[in-house]
Amino acid sequence: MITVGMDLGTQRVKAVVLIDDAVVSRAQAFSGFDPAKAAEEAVGEALKKVKLKISDVAYFVATGSAMEMAPYADSTVSMMSADAKAGVYLFPKARTIIDVGAEEARAVKCDEKALMVDFVVNERCAAGAGAFIEAMARALEVKLEEMGPLSLKAERASQINASCVIFGESDVVSLIHRQESKPEIARAVFDAMADRISSMVHRLGVKPDVVLIGGVAKDVGFVAALKRKLGIDVLVPDFPDFAGALGAALTAATRAKERRK
Amino acid sequence: MDSEKIEKKYTPEIPAKEIEELRNSIKTASEKIIAENIERMKKADPKRPEAMKYFDEISNLFGQRQREILAEKQKGKKVIGYMCLFAPIELIMAADAIPVRVNSGWYDTSKIGDRVVPVEVCPVIRSTIGAKMIGLSPFLELSDALISVLTCDGMTKLSEILSDYKTIWPMNVPRVKDATHSLRFWDDEIVQMKQQIEEFTGNKITRKRLKQAIEQTQRATRVFRRLQDLRKGNPVITGRDAMLVNQAYLWDDKVRWTEKAEALCDELEKRAQRKEWVCPPDTPRVLVTGTPMYWPDNWKLPTLVEEANPKGIIVADELCSGERILNDPVGVDEWTMDDMLSAIGERYLMASTCACFTSSDGNEDRINWLVNKVKEWNVQGVIYYVIRGCMLYAMEYSRVKKALDKINTPVYYLDTEYTREDVGQLKTRVEAFLEMLTARVDL
Repeated sequence: MITVGMDLGTQRVKAVVLIDDAVVSRAQAFSGFDPAKAAEEAVGEALKKVKLKISDVAYFVATGSAMEMAPYADSTVSMMSADAKAGVYLFPKARTIIDVGAEEARAVKCDEKALMVDFVVNERCAAGAGAFIEAMARALEVKLEEMGPLSLKAERASQINASCVIFGESDVVSLIHRQESKPEIARAVFDAMADRISSMVHRLGVKPDVVLIGGVAKDVGFVAALKRKLGIDVLVPDFPDFAGALGAALTAATRAKERRK
Repeated sequence: MDSEKIEKKYTPEIPAKEIEELRNSIKTASEKIIAENIERMKKADPKRPEAMKYFDEISNLFGQRQREILAEKQKGKKVIGYMCLFAPIELIMAADAIPVRVNSGWYDTSKIGDRVVPVEVCPVIRSTIGAKMIGLSPFLELSDALISVLTCDGMTKLSEILSDYKTIWPMNVPRVKDATHSLRFWDDEIVQMKQQIEEFTGNKITRKRLKQAIEQTQRATRVFRRLQDLRKGNPVITGRDAMLVNQAYLWDDKVRWTEKAEALCDELEKRAQRKEWVCPPDTPRVLVTGTPMYWPDNWKLPTLVEEANPKGIIVADELCSGERILNDPVGVDEWTMDDMLSAIGERYLMASTCACFTSSDGNEDRINWLVNKVKEWNVQGVIYYVIRGCMLYAMEYSRVKKALDKINTPVYYLDTEYTREDVGQLKTRVEAFLEMLTARVDL
């Protein structure tokens, strides 16, 4: 049975195709001003890769902040439920799933059946999310993907305050004026973000194994900082940015089976 | 209205033309929101009780009740407004004056309040200031004096700021609830307030009139408790309808409110016998607690919960804009003046579970209320609602969470602002929480 999960995020739309319980294809597109169109693109491309058509798909589930705009969707699932589903699928012992995206960070606690038991979302502010790294990279005049590797070269830690993107940026500027090196400032950016995320996770209670997903999980600088702050290992899957779509696709598989009954 | 010539210590002078424009545009928007809220509440329950018609009408803040109070005023009655629930309304009623609560639920006026206080301040406060600056709130405008009970920091400074416009009677509330001298101190405040009200209205608060006033609020509490009890079983009323009835007490005529609420309960009882539920009985049962939610704009959370996918039903709350208004009667042993006054003192201080209090065991009274509600009302999940700047409720969350964890009841902390723009984000969170509760119900 073929099912598709779509994750309509704030920056990108991701699509994952499952045959039974195995991922066979994935694709993404920029959300832009028309997330619905982006979803069509992403789904189209993902299906094309494995020579399938829309009509071959038994069930579509959408998640993500623009899930209600999703084309094809038979139903929707919350981002938190999708996170739990994907986390436990990827790492069966996962009990705490941290998802850091472009504009939002959240943590989900779940049980062995991938059922969500509690969750927490960052407090209406982009300082704990990917957009923060982007803004800081701009201030440092380095490319976004260079930020992580750069931070790993830091010899010591400097401090900035990630209570807000705007204030964070002025903190970075004062570090520049103090002639701190770029690697140290880059590390300070990740430390500040990891600080916010780890206190959020601590409010929920850290139950291992801890899994990190979402686009920001691709950033080695952030992963290193989060491990330092939490003081325990953090598992990162391949394609962490597709985890939401994977969770939606797994939900689609469950719902398709229920529908057949 | 009164005292426009007072030197304004806090608030800026705004040109009359700008005030008028702001008031007209926000009033028009507000009337639309009131109508829209009611429409959505009607839609939520196709078999909505007939008795709700009355409450729909009285919920129009710019309608019938405003005209009634104005007419009473023209006959010489005084109107005494208040901000916190600790204002002893029995004393106001016994002096033949009209009590009315004046906290603002308007989102748009909070932006006007920003001209006086920074955005970090609780939006209830900013919005109430803004409402006064443009003369939007009928009940605040009609008030001849305001009782301001100094509970949280916001309320304390709000009363100073409002003294730019109105006569303010501050009441000093002791915050260690269970110390014996606290009650003595508060009793003194009650006695002082009685004199204040008598002087201001020119009406003596006699033993007979105070007894009548207490008996009236006791009757209202009895009806209210009947309504609460009706929410214990399978849902016969939406949370929003019950909350509106509850909140309307704050501005309605107390005798008429009691009659109308009684009629509603009669209807609901029959409905329960017919087993005509508002929603499927396995809909997750939710309790909301935290920062007060004022009609009409701040109806955001109850609307989200009851219109979500999957849906929830609010069966109880622990809010000073909700059940706390009427939950506790004034308990009098002997109808002497002294006894009645101390019974009033005790009712307003000891029964409150407001987060501004602490005791030798902290605010354990609130925990007890919540745990009891969860058990007796069969609550499946609690939404802990905090608006940014509401420090006391934000700070009590961890304790509440631990207590609810102990009885295996999920709780979700939802933070928001006086704004409509975050509805999408909040919807995601509320729906994820309800999804989680639904999954638990299925197990």
